[in-house]
Amino acid sequence: MSALVELREATKSFAGGVLGRERLMALERFSFAIDPARPGITAVVGESGSGKTTLARLLLGLIEPTEGAVLYKGNDLRQLSAAGRREFRHDVQAIFQDPYEVYNPFYRVDHVLTTPVRKFRLASSRAEGRRLIEEALRAVGLRPEEILGRYPHQLSGGQRQRIMVARALLLRPRVIVADEPVSMVDASLRATILGSLRKLHEELGISILYITHDLATAYQVADTILVMYRASVVEAGDVELVVKAPQHPYTQLLIGSIPRVSTVRNWAIEERQGRVAAVSGCKFADRCPAAMPRCVAAPPPLYRTALRRAAACFLLDDSPVLPPGDTGSVLVREERPARASVVA
Amino acid sequence: MLGYLRRNISLGVGIGLLGILVIFMVVGAFTVDTSAAQPLSVPALQPPSWDYPFGTDRQGRDLLAVMVAGTPLTLWIGFIAGFIGVGVAAVLAFTAAYYGGVVDTVIRSIADIGLTIPGLLVLIIIAVSLKGSLTVNQMAIIIALLAWLSPTRTIRSQVLTLRQRGYVEIARLNGMSGPEIIFRELVPNLLPYLAATLVSSVSAAILASVGLEVLGLGPVEAPDLGMTLYWVQFNAAIINGWWWWWTAPLGVIIIVFLGLFFLTAGLDEIANPRLRRTV
Amino acid sequence: MGVSTSILRVEKLCVAYDHPLGAVRAVDDVSFALRPRERFGLAGESGSGKSTMALAILRMIKPPGRIEGGEVWLEDTALSGLADDVIRRLRLAGIAMVPQGSMNSLNPVVRIRDQIADALADHGSRLSRREVAERVHSLLVQVGLPPEAADRYPHELSGGMKQRACIAIAICLRPKVIIADEPTSALDVVVQRQVMETLGRVQQRLDAAVILVGHDMGLMAQFVDRLGIMYAGRLVEVAPIRDIITAPRHPYTRLLIDSLPSLDHKGQFVGIPGLAPLLRELPPGCAFHPRCPMAEARCRSEKPAVRAFGADATAACHLA
Repeated sequence: MSALVELREATKSFAGGVLGRERLMALERFSFAIDPARPGITAVVGESGSGKTTLARLLLGLIEPTEGAVLYKGNDLRQLSAAGRREFRHDVQAIFQDPYEVYNPFYRVDHVLTTPVRKFRLASSRAEGRRLIEEALRAVGLRPEEILGRYPHQLSGGQRQRIMVARALLLRPRVIVADEPVSMVDASLRATILGSLRKLHEELGISILYITHDLATAYQVADTILVMYRASVVEAGDVELVVKAPQHPYTQLLIGSIPRVSTVRNWAIEERQGRVAAVSGCKFADRCPAAMPRCVAAPPPLYRTALRRAAACFLLDDSPVLPPGDTGSVLVREERPARASVVA
Repeated sequence: MLGYLRRNISLGVGIGLLGILVIFMVVGAFTVDTSAAQPLSVPALQPPSWDYPFGTDRQGRDLLAVMVAGTPLTLWIGFIAGFIGVGVAAVLAFTAAYYGGVVDTVIRSIADIGLTIPGLLVLIIIAVSLKGSLTVNQMAIIIALLAWLSPTRTIRSQVLTLRQRGYVEIARLNGMSGPEIIFRELVPNLLPYLAATLVSSVSAAILASVGLEVLGLGPVEAPDLGMTLYWVQFNAAIINGWWWWWTAPLGVIIIVFLGLFFLTAGLDEIANPRLRRTV
Repeated sequence: MGVSTSILRVEKLCVAYDHPLGAVRAVDDVSFALRPRERFGLAGESGSGKSTMALAILRMIKPPGRIEGGEVWLEDTALSGLADDVIRRLRLAGIAMVPQGSMNSLNPVVRIRDQIADALADHGSRLSRREVAERVHSLLVQVGLPPEAADRYPHELSGGMKQRACIAIAICLRPKVIIADEPTSALDVVVQRQVMETLGRVQQRLDAAVILVGHDMGLMAQFVDRLGIMYAGRLVEVAPIRDIITAPRHPYTRLLIDSLPSLDHKGQFVGIPGLAPLLRELPPGCAFHPRCPMAEARCRSEKPAVRAFGADATAACHLA
């Protein structure tokens, strides 16, 4: 199987510190592939600093990896020709978090819809372009006559975000990277927008990478999930398994901290301060109630604990280490530092 | 529009003052005989009278004719220098800010070094080394050589604030190239700022040209405002009591600068929403 | 909801903003009573008026906004009649507020200890240096910060610690009411829980009441005793949190609860159709009727009055 877009041992670090000697890791040796033959919705969940936004920007080609590579149809993004680049842009699109910033205040909102029609030659005439745009707006539940011709400040955040989904719809990409698409939208509108995303996937076979810090929406929207902590993956797999029975201590802490809309008050999980100070090894060791001396010595690999899940914790070391090969079912390809990369 | 002018007082005053000048120049061009702006046209050193409303100077120029002929010349120098200066600055600034990296460092360093050199000194050296007399256009070019330095820095800062905006990233995702993003997405948002920079650049250019001319380094044959002031001090008009000779050009210059100043302030208010006092 | 049993009482409060196109009611005829030691939530989406409510209680509405009518009572004192300096002293000593984004409003060049000391001094406390130091120490311990935090500058603390420092400032004069406006919106889920636990602990120790303003219904469900729901400037429902979740009376509340994603089972995506109305262009009758699946003719013409359901609950709906 060939991946459409792939991250291969991609690392992104920034120079930091007084003399630029320290390196701040934004994403560490991350490998992940999107297979167009098996489209799915994968959620990438993590807090700020986990690396999820860096992951999105690398996949979109907005930033370049410090090490490793981002590949499109097997070719490194940095080496694509102009035509290849345009193809890439057509196939991989995004929906961003802030429905205010993505609009150029100088133009009417039509601009975000007419520009891709023009740049990607989606229509042969202006009338046809207009028709496509109106169709896309209707598909996300908006009325073209209420939207077209307006300036961004005249519309609500929810409307603007739905226009962005319509834009993605217009392009019919193979992959949509949705970076916190509903976090700045009112609660009552979130379900509508997420429903549109789900529909995009089901009706058009578009793979969606749903990046968020909100586990509840991730659970509702996605089939599989990647949990990130401080630039690495700590747990991955089928979303039902991971959310209902988390195996990594961080995931357990995360899920336990989420306030539920329920008459049951479950906010009782205690976060015990770990006794081990981590300098190397597992990044969660300093906060982990189950930390052992071996956790500080070396970072744990991802252990495959079931057909459709894996977690990076020494507590699970009786499970096999996840081999560098596509397992398909987990929808994730992980590679650990010490292992040689084998292309499946 | 008029309603807005009433709220944005600076803009209104600026347009008003410059409007008066324009009317003066246009009406004057039709009613006044501008050949009288040349020496030996009329009796010398006449105080203001019905025949010569602004009086005449020592070389026999009708000062009203001089004002009518000279004001456009001074403004012309300012506009040419200002436009070239801001035009070059804009190109350099957008390029430096959008592409960043080495390009940015090079452009920025050149501008910074240029800014530390005293501008007037450079202009004087250039003007003095040119053989033969200057034309008005050559004057404009000389000033334009320095006029691009400061706007490059300021426009660059403005572009930097816009570069990370979401709509620029969306534009990249649309497959737009660098120059396309600059022209379609960034420039339109900066138009008010560029307009304000242009006006202040014109103002600075006029000041520089008048300064050079007063020192005698300008186009000697042109009857423009700066040269008139040169002749004023060359002939010690102030000491000699020929007050009408220097009040006319001074008055016009004051109106020019005040007009441009208020215009800049008014445009600043449009460009910077935080300065706006009204919606 | 009698006078003697409530620590804070809001009666028919109206806040308007003057706009060139006409005045806009950001808070429309809102009444509720806060009991001693009660945790009261004020939930609503953007534009519902909840933050304006919080500011209005503290008399902190600035032009072009103004309090158009109604009254706020702190125990038995009506706040509208008080002079400016009396109100100023009441803020922090009687009613304290942890505003939105307050962790970013801490003075970056002043140490935490001095920020607390300033708050004390500003309200006329005449403690000696040693007493102030002891007070600061005790406050930091109460909010779960290490005593060394007193010497730190805000940028040396994490987001959660800064927010807890803000809580320490808010409680330093032992207020009877604490208003927290979105205290955890910028914090991650794990830290959020810690900060809310701190707030709860502190509140119990002080025997104070808390008004939590926000839009995170999960947070409300886990923290508050009673919840008020705001829509288009009106308080459309108030009830004990259990009832809000299991048996809401107002259709908006019901739709809102139904639209929230759960972690228990995957479901359909049910949102609320339409858009929240612009306060400038409120529909006639009930402001929610264009989006309400149960709207009747009466709802389109007649604005529903707020009716009481027992001592704890109110709802503004013809069909409740």
